Amino acid sequence: MKSQSEEKKYMPELSEKEVEELRKAITDTSQRVVAENIEKMKKADQNRPEAMNYFDEIADFAQREKEIRAAKKEGKKVIGYMCLHAPTELILAADAIPVRVNSGWYDASKLGDRIVPVEVCPMVRSTIGAKMIALSPYLELSDALISVLTCDAMTKLGEILSDYTPVWAMTVPRVKDSAQSIRLWNEEIKAIKAQIEALTGNTIKGKQLKSAIERTQKATKAFRRLQDLRKGPPVIMGRDAMLVNQTYMWDDIDRWTEKTEALCDELEKRVSQKNWVCPTDTPRVMITGTPMIWPDNWKVPTLVEEANPQGILVADELCSSERLLYDPVGVDEWSISDMLNAIGERYLMASTCPCFTSEDGNEDRINWLLTKIKDWNIQGVIYYVVRGCMLYAMEYTRVKKVLDRNNIPVYYLDTEYTREDVGQMKTRVEAFLEMLSARIDI
Amino acid sequence: MITAGLDLGTQSVKVVIVKDGKVVARSKAFSGFDPAQAAEQALGEALKEANLSMSDVRHVTSTGSGMEMAANSNSTVSMMGADAKAGVHLFPNARTIIDVGAEEARAVRCDDNGIMMDFVVNERCAAGAGAFIEAMARALEVKLEDMGLLSLKAERASSINASCVIFGESDVVSLIHKQESKPEIARAIFEAMADRVSSMVHRLGVNPEVLLVGGVAKDVGFVAALKRKLGVDILIPECPEYVGALGAALVAVNRVKKV
Repeated sequence: MKSQSEEKKYMPELSEKEVEELRKAITDTSQRVVAENIEKMKKADQNRPEAMNYFDEIADFAQREKEIRAAKKEGKKVIGYMCLHAPTELILAADAIPVRVNSGWYDASKLGDRIVPVEVCPMVRSTIGAKMIALSPYLELSDALISVLTCDAMTKLGEILSDYTPVWAMTVPRVKDSAQSIRLWNEEIKAIKAQIEALTGNTIKGKQLKSAIERTQKATKAFRRLQDLRKGPPVIMGRDAMLVNQTYMWDDIDRWTEKTEALCDELEKRVSQKNWVCPTDTPRVMITGTPMIWPDNWKVPTLVEEANPQGILVADELCSSERLLYDPVGVDEWSISDMLNAIGERYLMASTCPCFTSEDGNEDRINWLLTKIKDWNIQGVIYYVVRGCMLYAMEYTRVKKVLDRNNIPVYYLDTEYTREDVGQMKTRVEAFLEMLSARIDI
Repeated sequence: MITAGLDLGTQSVKVVIVKDGKVVARSKAFSGFDPAQAAEQALGEALKEANLSMSDVRHVTSTGSGMEMAANSNSTVSMMGADAKAGVHLFPNARTIIDVGAEEARAVRCDDNGIMMDFVVNERCAAGAGAFIEAMARALEVKLEDMGLLSLKAERASSINASCVIFGESDVVSLIHKQESKPEIARAIFEAMADRVSSMVHRLGVNPEVLLVGGVAKDVGFVAALKRKLGVDILIPECPEYVGALGAALVAVNRVKKV
């Protein structure tokens, strides 16, 4: 821990008054955006599943903030993470609360511009901005942060945030399938376990770890059930499913699992009644690319589902949504070393992030995209990139070549953390959907 | 059957009236502050020219950035979809259609039915579009319509930065200060634009025949530069700025048939 008097490496000293004013302005906007997004989602499906009410509530940060605050008063620790490679089972096993802290607030990215150039990924700039004005309840409540060094911007983000909160970096190897990579990553897992134990004062024993893995496996089961229901004719709007997926990042895991199962029960009834959310010939779209974080960065799913002609999101390949929880930790023997190895494997091998490469390039991502396209009957792919995300931007050419060969239309949609380009994006999204409809017509 | 296509562009509104597959009238108006009003005016003029009244028109389809503003329209079609439709109607072998307008450049790949199969749009900056030529003509103190011919007088091009209209303009000013020749500067402007447009088209693939449409297709300087960059022949229809509106009018025919 550093002393208070130590100078900050990156962050400026802002007056309390300025912080207060900025936070109030952005919080007000945020509350309006949350309400607007939910309102639009309700309007999109007049007969929206009742189980969605819970997720609407948890999407408003206030309720969960209150719960976490109360848990902290009772001595619980909160561990924030910025990337899905962070092994949340270890956090749960130490009786701490995991919460993802990436920022989806557009306006906060402008504050980040004071620290890093505008060319930097806006999600990272926004997270910096959020920290500057204590905007994100989850970032503020975190006693420590896990920063997985997947890309350049993430690497420096951890460094910048360490001006306020202890940050534990995890080095992720860029080549997944070599013996030395797996050794390194397993060592990183052990090191992070030791950090978590030191912070919480709780030793992670076999029993607790087994229970944490099993609780997460249950969540995965519910999560998969929801995604599998989207393979058929559309029974849920894509935005609703995305919101469910996204709330996992901050909700209580057991309650989230229970509520997701309840939603799936309701959806299954609708499937049996052939009660669809839109005409079954609506173009089926998948989004892949950079993460989209609630509440502000909801513009692309909204555009797709409110476009004329309309599209329906039936799948995505985003680390903020369907990549979160799809893969379970697979344990053979419930010994602590086996469990740790299984966690290591799950958080490295299952990831399709473009930070990885191999002899065949990032082949895992290509294969997973093709599997999704086939199993979810995808008719078009939107490749979404925020400016400054080099890895996703560069890998587009590879993905496009493969999808072209498979006769799957793909459109590259680049944007910023801003609301001002919605008009131009709408033109493009609608042209893409029109193209898909014309193809379906033939 | 009589249909109309409205193209509500960023700078001007174009109207085409089609009767049994043939263009019977064209009309244009400045978009100004009220594109809807401009569209109504242009439509009125086109009807007058063709000796028709609104009740003769079976279906109106609008396109362009302001397509949703048109009051008289029955349906809409994307600009890329309209380009593909009209492109293949005009040149049955056209498979790549490049549209360079005032503030946007785009390219469409289509099949032999004029159905778009893929498309690209320039990045948000207008440096690859008509507004760039306008800004540069201003800096050079040359009339916009003289820019093309001026550039053709040059054997070589100066070098400018076309990543941004504003930076491009300041580059041109410093070239003027260095007393480089105006034709060479003009040629550099078209080369820079053609660079931007051709790399965009390459992302889509250059599938012959290649058609260039939109207002900028009338600029001989740009056409020459784009031909050099793409290394293929480029077809240009007559009245290239009306192609979007024509596409919309043809789509309107299909919309009537579908109902």
